[in-house]
Amino acid sequence: MRLKKIMTDFFLLMALTTNISFIFYPNPYELVITVIANLTATILKLGEGKILATEMTAASMVADLHLLPAVFIFFLGNHEEATSLAIGALAANIISVLLSIIEAIFSYLSEE
Amino acid sequence: MHRFKKLRAISRKLRIKKAQGKTLKEIYQSKLVTSLDPLKLPLLMLHTWLSFGTIGYMMLSDGNFIDSIYMTVITIGTIGFGEVVQGSQTPQGRIFSTFLAISGIGVFTTSVTVIIRTILVGDIPRLVKMLMVLSRIEKLERHVIVCGFNRSSLWLIKALTSRKVNTVLVDGRENSIKAAKEAEIELFIPEEPYKKIALKSAGIERASYLVSLFEEEEKNMAVIAIARLLRPNRSEFTIIATAPSEGSAHKLQELGANVVVVPDKLLANRIFSHVLHNTGAYISDLFDKIAYGEEAELGVVELNIEANSALINKKLKDLDFRRIYGVTIIGIKRLDGTLEISISGETQLEQGDTLLLLGRPKNLEKVLSLYQSITK
Repeated sequence: MRLKKIMTDFFLLMALTTNISFIFYPNPYELVITVIANLTATILKLGEGKILATEMTAASMVADLHLLPAVFIFFLGNHEEATSLAIGALAANIISVLLSIIEAIFSYLSEE
Repeated sequence: MHRFKKLRAISRKLRIKKAQGKTLKEIYQSKLVTSLDPLKLPLLMLHTWLSFGTIGYMMLSDGNFIDSIYMTVITIGTIGFGEVVQGSQTPQGRIFSTFLAISGIGVFTTSVTVIIRTILVGDIPRLVKMLMVLSRIEKLERHVIVCGFNRSSLWLIKALTSRKVNTVLVDGRENSIKAAKEAEIELFIPEEPYKKIALKSAGIERASYLVSLFEEEEKNMAVIAIARLLRPNRSEFTIIATAPSEGSAHKLQELGANVVVVPDKLLANRIFSHVLHNTGAYISDLFDKIAYGEEAELGVVELNIEANSALINKKLKDLDFRRIYGVTIIGIKRLDGTLEISISGETQLEQGDTLLLLGRPKNLEKVLSLYQSITK
């Protein structure tokens, strides 16, 4: 269970950090890594029925739906539109990370 | 730490409240979400290989994402349209493509097979179907809930459906679930009906009747007790049940059932009526058919004369139901319980009387709609 949490949190944070990095300095590899990390986090969260987990799945799906068009738009040449989509995804990424922190606090309380 | 204690107490309270207030639909929705869990591994495998291939080709082609993902898909998907990415013709590119094809083809075919099988054969289609059934039940009103699946309930459901009365079957026994599926009963809840949650999901708050047809007396008792707890008013919600003996029938009535049928006694009575009316078997059959709803062209209804009724102190010749509506008054049940069958045009109606009307269903409905306060 712990390992799963580490993996999910790692990919969520990875998506957030590379996304911020891409927004400040647009780089094709960073955008692709953001998409990969975010999709991995979404897949890892699939099938979890707890309230916070479903909220996190929803938030990370929103980020996916911003990032997937962003990556195609970026490679078709429209960098500005891709960056604005990535900013949208950033909002969802931040919410995902916040929810992950809240989930960690609740699991800590129930273990105590 | 004190603050944490407070938080813990709040979360515990919330958890209890959540468990109490859950509906069957919410439980199935949550099961549907958790049933996506088997998709995790194949999706992750597919995603890893697609990402690995895309980044690899991007590095070979100096960052061309669209060609790289296309090349990865046609390689691991065994499509093989050719080497569309710059750099894939180089020795490094060929080595990478060989490795990707050997490792990726197995991953691709296995993952796609598992994903399709999980979606089409696993719990997902069953839960989606159940959620659709629950949504349909949510829209029903004045319907009949039948608890317990057996031959009697199957006949009952067929008869009610033929009269366009919506019927919801509730039974959680393994054999019943299989049999109900084979009988193609659409509105079916595979849960034990003596659970509050099952009856609530069957729409007991909006239903008019509940029929408990279990062979076991204790199961019927449990269903009646829960149903009466949810719908305490006997005149608004009718509970019909079966019982093995007269004594048991009496108990079920005291518990909350409006009508309790003793199947053995009913069978004996029907056979007895055939023996008794052997010479006039047609009349005996006709009344049976009317009573059991098998005769669609003829019906019998009761019309109660209440305090505000326009029929009070009227004589039958003034009403002339037979000429105006094509409905015949075959008897009058007086307030003291006596049944008057030798009636004439001079017979006067009083408050508390119940008229027994015979006629075609359409004509009877007309009279009912005009004179309200009618019970079937």
